[in-house]
Amino acid sequence: MALAIRRTSDILCAARWLIRRDCRVLSTLPEKAEISQEVVVRRPAGRRPIANEAVLESRHIYPEFLPDPNPDWRNSLREKLERADMLKRRSQIDIPEFYVGSILAVTISDPHAQTKTTRFVGICIERKGCGLRAEFTLRNVVDHQGVEVRYDLYDPTIQKIQVLRLEKRLDEKLLYLRDALPEYSTFPFDMDPEILPEGTPVPINPVQVKLKPRPWLEKWERQELKGVSNIEEHLKGKDRIRRELRKTPWEKYDLMKQYRKTIPIEDQSEIWAEVHNQLQQLQLSRKKMARKRTFTAPKPQLG
Amino acid sequence: MNQAEVSKLVSKLRIKVPAEPRKLRSPKGPEGRIDKLRKTVTGLIKYERIELNHNRGDEARQYAERLISEAIRYGDCHKPTMDVANYWLLEKELIHKLFKVLVPRFENCNTAYTRMLNAPRPLPSRVDDKVVLELRGNPYPSLVNRQSNNRLLIQNVLLDAAKYDYRQSKYAEMAEKIGQREEAQALEKKSKEPTKESSNESKTPEI
Amino acid sequence: MASFNLKNICISLSKLRIGHAVTRSHSNGPRYRPPYWFASKERVMTNDYLTQENKQFVEEVMKDKMKVQAELESPLANNGDQSIQQWAPTTRRVGVIARKIGNYPIWSKDGKKMLATLLQVVDNHVVKYIPPEEFKPMKTCKVNWREKRRLGCLLVGSETIDPSTVTKDYCGLFDSVGMLPKKHLCRFMVSPEAVLPTGTPLLATHFRAGDYLDIRAKTIDRGFQGVMKRWGFKGMPASHGVTKTHRRPGNIGAGGEKARVWPGTKMPGHMGNRWRTLRGVKILRINTKHNVLWTLGVAIPGETGAMCYLYDTILPLRKLKSSPPFPTHPPADDLPIEYYDESIHPYDNPTVTYEEA
Repeated sequence: MALAIRRTSDILCAARWLIRRDCRVLSTLPEKAEISQEVVVRRPAGRRPIANEAVLESRHIYPEFLPDPNPDWRNSLREKLERADMLKRRSQIDIPEFYVGSILAVTISDPHAQTKTTRFVGICIERKGCGLRAEFTLRNVVDHQGVEVRYDLYDPTIQKIQVLRLEKRLDEKLLYLRDALPEYSTFPFDMDPEILPEGTPVPINPVQVKLKPRPWLEKWERQELKGVSNIEEHLKGKDRIRRELRKTPWEKYDLMKQYRKTIPIEDQSEIWAEVHNQLQQLQLSRKKMARKRTFTAPKPQLG
Repeated sequence: MNQAEVSKLVSKLRIKVPAEPRKLRSPKGPEGRIDKLRKTVTGLIKYERIELNHNRGDEARQYAERLISEAIRYGDCHKPTMDVANYWLLEKELIHKLFKVLVPRFENCNTAYTRMLNAPRPLPSRVDDKVVLELRGNPYPSLVNRQSNNRLLIQNVLLDAAKYDYRQSKYAEMAEKIGQREEAQALEKKSKEPTKESSNESKTPEI
Repeated sequence: MASFNLKNICISLSKLRIGHAVTRSHSNGPRYRPPYWFASKERVMTNDYLTQENKQFVEEVMKDKMKVQAELESPLANNGDQSIQQWAPTTRRVGVIARKIGNYPIWSKDGKKMLATLLQVVDNHVVKYIPPEEFKPMKTCKVNWREKRRLGCLLVGSETIDPSTVTKDYCGLFDSVGMLPKKHLCRFMVSPEAVLPTGTPLLATHFRAGDYLDIRAKTIDRGFQGVMKRWGFKGMPASHGVTKTHRRPGNIGAGGEKARVWPGTKMPGHMGNRWRTLRGVKILRINTKHNVLWTLGVAIPGETGAMCYLYDTILPLRKLKSSPPFPTHPPADDLPIEYYDESIHPYDNPTVTYEEA
């Protein structure tokens, strides 16, 4: 008897569901009963809440911990070993937070130098590669000669990386500084580090550089750069026409192209769950050490 | 080894994504490819079940999955997502369908949002492989064979019997183990009792 | 008369049979079809319409079997000191099957950057040993070396798989020795002293950091390629009046007596998917927990995820000089997690500095 009742109720449910479905298909509007149910459940912003949003933010600070998105090159064990090695190196040397556009001073061991160390100051114009292959390029103008040095982030010959000015620029890569006037990439080697108050967001420097007249190393006009002010001055009519022809407005909507360039949230949260705590601890211990140092030894420059 | 892009966050797709995008022949080049896929995605959202060539079906499936996952993740108040939906859905009333019908339908779904099945070829001719692409939870009758729950198929009957035997032997083994353990415990107790007493005896004079 | 002649010729031609035509290409190109005597491994999977409970039951049985297999102890652990054989420079040890899992840089102690390839030794077990007297392989060359045969054949498998996914023939090979089927199989020619009992696990500690390896694997399959990619030809100019021939080989031979294509001429064709051996690869680092070897260089054939076979090198100057773990390293729990070659800078060591000379 009970069985029979359950079965009938099942059939009823199914029938109701079918009717509802049909209505929905005809009108493309959800049934009212459903709305009332969902309104309770629905989030005010209409956005799925992510528990580890703060953890995911560390992808900007430590982008090299995310692997190459190409599935042909991925292997979970290799990535795990690589991350472990990166953390080991980070426990030996403080690799600070920096971005393209920040001004860094890097000290490396150099067998050919007289003091066996070399210090170079410059603006970070590019940061690329993932895992232990992560690298960054510093640019400066020394004696009217542009100099660029590429460093491996995890190179054990690097003795110290110091951030002299922590800021971002308007573009993701500053390779156009090679064609810009030299004053935009000239930085003194005896620059004092500027300390940001704790908790402030990283400032974005809105400076727009002026390019030298052509010839250029790349076709900057086609790259939609925000940090260049005088690009239109140097263009001819045919350059403008070609720029229009080469535009790819549909690429912005190519969802799979974006997908193939990124690591999905689910994979990322796994990675950050593995490394985030250790990174935080390293950072905290570094801060404590720095504080101790400031209390014990007064700055020599002040005296 | 290139750095992954960090400016955007995407949800993981539940379907297998090939490393390289497929080329779809079009005189307009890459733009034409996207245009073709837009038409297919619009058709899929509109009719919920369509039949098409395998190449285009597989490619359009990825885009449809991405569109739905993006809609679920950001909702209808997010302007860039709205922009993307506006681009991909050529018939504008389907945008409402995406956010009002499909998002609630798939919100708590743990599998892929679409299903792709091989369709029969009409003749043994040199035509492309055909597939049927459909959204899950569509109102049409199911395409797959429902025999998977038939208990009376010979293999299921035999497996049922095998399962019964396997379980019985396992239970017997477990019972034997428990019996052995109890025996051993009993033996230990017996052997321990006198030792305990002796240890107590030995301890008391020390105190 | 003429028609009669023609008939005769036709009859004689039809009687002419080609009984033993041997066609051999001059290069050992990729074989697309396995030889007829090969027992195929893959089975055609069909939908059996099992009920949910029955599917779960099949999985449960599989899990139990895997568990039993995983709990098997290494035969070396029990009879450790009983039958120890001495290693000599002429003995040949067994190799292992590994998977290429990618590459990343590693620095030496003097601060030099090197790229290392990571090879993971995955779930290797000895399957079977065939002594030299019984080992009768298929003849592949005319040279008869049966008289001087002194090496036995040791079959090693890697990665246990579900027996329901492979054919019965293939399963039978493992059933006879009481193991679950393995995904990859390789035969290693070993000296009779280096024999290992069935079921012995082979680990990354089979090798030592600083030793040299020969690595055999299949190269990346690149398909049909032109001469520029396949042989590194220069091609022809992009401009200066050149039309329709930018990536073509140009002339392939002279006229006169040699007015034909000479054998071995470099031409377009299938590239890759061939067995190649890279000899004398140095081991830089070993992880005993995950069974991973770091080897110097990126020239190990195959893409990421490809299987490769590792042997002790046969190069005279890089051969093993002292006794390696022989016949293999028994599984042990108290090993250090990492072994480094003495030239390698471990990542958790302090920064490299140079002293004033």
